[in-house]
Amino acid sequence: MEELRELAKKLLQEKQVNAVVGYECDRRGVRPAFVDDPAGCDRLVFDHRCVQNLPAYLSPRRTNVAGLGRLAVVVKQCDARAVAGLIRESQLKRENLVLIGVRCGGVAANPNESRELGAETLALRCYGCSGTETAMADYVVGEPKTVPAAGGDRDARLAEIEKMSPEERLALWKEWLSRCTRCHACRQVCPMCFCERCVAEKTQPNWIESSPHIQGNFSWNVTRALHLAGRCVDCGECERACPAQIPLGLLNRKLAKIMSARYGFAVTDDPSTPAPIGSYRLDDGQEFIL
Amino acid sequence: MRRMLSRTDLDALVRDLLGAGTRVIAPVRRKVQGREFVEYAPVQNPEEIALDGSQPVRPLKQVVFPPTETLFNYKQDKGLVQIQEAPTTFSDTLVIGARPCDAAALEIVDRVMDWDYHDEFWFGHRQATTVVAVACTDSDESCFCTAVGLSPESTRGADWLLIPAGSSFEVRVVTPKGEALLESNKSRCPESDVPEAGKASSAVEEKVRANLAMNPAKLQEWLGAHFEHPLWQKIALRCHGCGACAFVCPTCHCFDIVDELEGVGRGARRRNWDACQPALFTLHGSGHNPRKDQSARFRQRVMHKFSIYPSRFGEILCTGCGRCIRVCAAGMDLIAILAEIGQNAEEAGSTL
Repeated sequence: MEELRELAKKLLQEKQVNAVVGYECDRRGVRPAFVDDPAGCDRLVFDHRCVQNLPAYLSPRRTNVAGLGRLAVVVKQCDARAVAGLIRESQLKRENLVLIGVRCGGVAANPNESRELGAETLALRCYGCSGTETAMADYVVGEPKTVPAAGGDRDARLAEIEKMSPEERLALWKEWLSRCTRCHACRQVCPMCFCERCVAEKTQPNWIESSPHIQGNFSWNVTRALHLAGRCVDCGECERACPAQIPLGLLNRKLAKIMSARYGFAVTDDPSTPAPIGSYRLDDGQEFIL
Repeated sequence: MRRMLSRTDLDALVRDLLGAGTRVIAPVRRKVQGREFVEYAPVQNPEEIALDGSQPVRPLKQVVFPPTETLFNYKQDKGLVQIQEAPTTFSDTLVIGARPCDAAALEIVDRVMDWDYHDEFWFGHRQATTVVAVACTDSDESCFCTAVGLSPESTRGADWLLIPAGSSFEVRVVTPKGEALLESNKSRCPESDVPEAGKASSAVEEKVRANLAMNPAKLQEWLGAHFEHPLWQKIALRCHGCGACAFVCPTCHCFDIVDELEGVGRGARRRNWDACQPALFTLHGSGHNPRKDQSARFRQRVMHKFSIYPSRFGEILCTGCGRCIRVCAAGMDLIAILAEIGQNAEEAGSTL
């Protein structure tokens, strides 16, 4: 922790950056922190409650965060995938950013988790994670850590659903999606949902009905999942943020599996790996073209 | 003399109403992919009702103000538009197990719904709905009803308040609608001469009080004088600008009206929940947005609840349910924010 605080202090004192985006403790657990003076660096923490994907604040649509100036951001290895995604899609220039890589021993599903990290509390995305720091980092802090062994198969819940008949699956998703009230928390917390104007906000024509009735909710949630195919960084923030308790991560996970099977693409923190949506290969499957 | 109602008799009451075709809404336990939660939902059987005090994830407002509601349907034929009005009869509804903070919100929002325009849909649902609240037997670190003038035993907005007492409930009849409900269930609610064992929820109330102390008048005064203050920029940095806080808020009532086509030449006009945190809420057709960034939008949320609504209606537009705190993915904490503003207000005391 001291190492992180000292580094943040140094970056601010030497005016290498105007603000550091990291984590701090609050009344209930841990929340994102924006520190712009060296004295405030003592607020910074990093532990297993640091769940949030901070590169979400780097989206160009965050005009108030952009107004802070040059930023240093605390990133876990998985968070760096979002930075890589934003660079890959020309939303961010690597040189405009300082990345503080933290060695991470896994995080809980919930930033207010009061229990120790273990099979019961570990976030799904940490299942099978090696815990190594990102190669993108300018600085790496913290002692090497080991991610606890998870309680089971990361994709067990997806496998359950894949076994169902299409009718059963439809009934299940109808039940889940009927709870959606279109608060768009899924979109707002997503680092890859950076569009200045979302397709869901367009009215001429009205591509996606804004009413939270079942067809509007299918329209919205399926469109968002498809827009994230091969782009989702698998941080699970949409599912965590959903106040309607919809297991949105299942949609993204399924699409990630399809992208892997069809295009050999797996989400990575290497920004030079081309994304399937932005690249063309002669051996791309094309059997769907008549 | 107090009237008592056993859980068995409560279940019988629910069965009677269900038999008579009344819609019964109550907290129901759900489990989705390992996540357990409670939500207000129509029940078919009284055994589904969970009265253990867990707070439903969404507020009661959805019963009288559905997330989407059709105002009318329309048909268009060669320039001629035909309007088909939406039904104006509302189904009889009984809510059992409303949280006091949810029940109070209904009465607070009545004020704006009957202000410059009488909202037929809101009041149609309101009149058809009887609310039986249950006093809270527990609270968490996000509850702050006592800071906004309510309590875990508040009767506001409820027709009955049930106070848990062992395996039974003490029945407090609050309104004429509540009297009518008692009239048809008198034999189930015998009078008991067991003396009241002190305030049942005082321990809960104390716990809630410890979360936040607030001086609403001072807060309102400070807000009125500090529309521009660096605090707004600082607080709003972490806000993601979604509508989660507003959609789980029992008092947020903003809506959007849309026309949606349902085939060639026909469609429906609907009103849907809307929220002031996304940028789209105030985006003008010209492209200009008077609330230019998240700090302006978050300030609006606080101002509306603790300054604008109080000055217009004499009511705080918040019941301290704490849902906005619990759902926020960014850790925006209204208790901490109100405490910080409150401290500013204290310090500014003499200069105001």
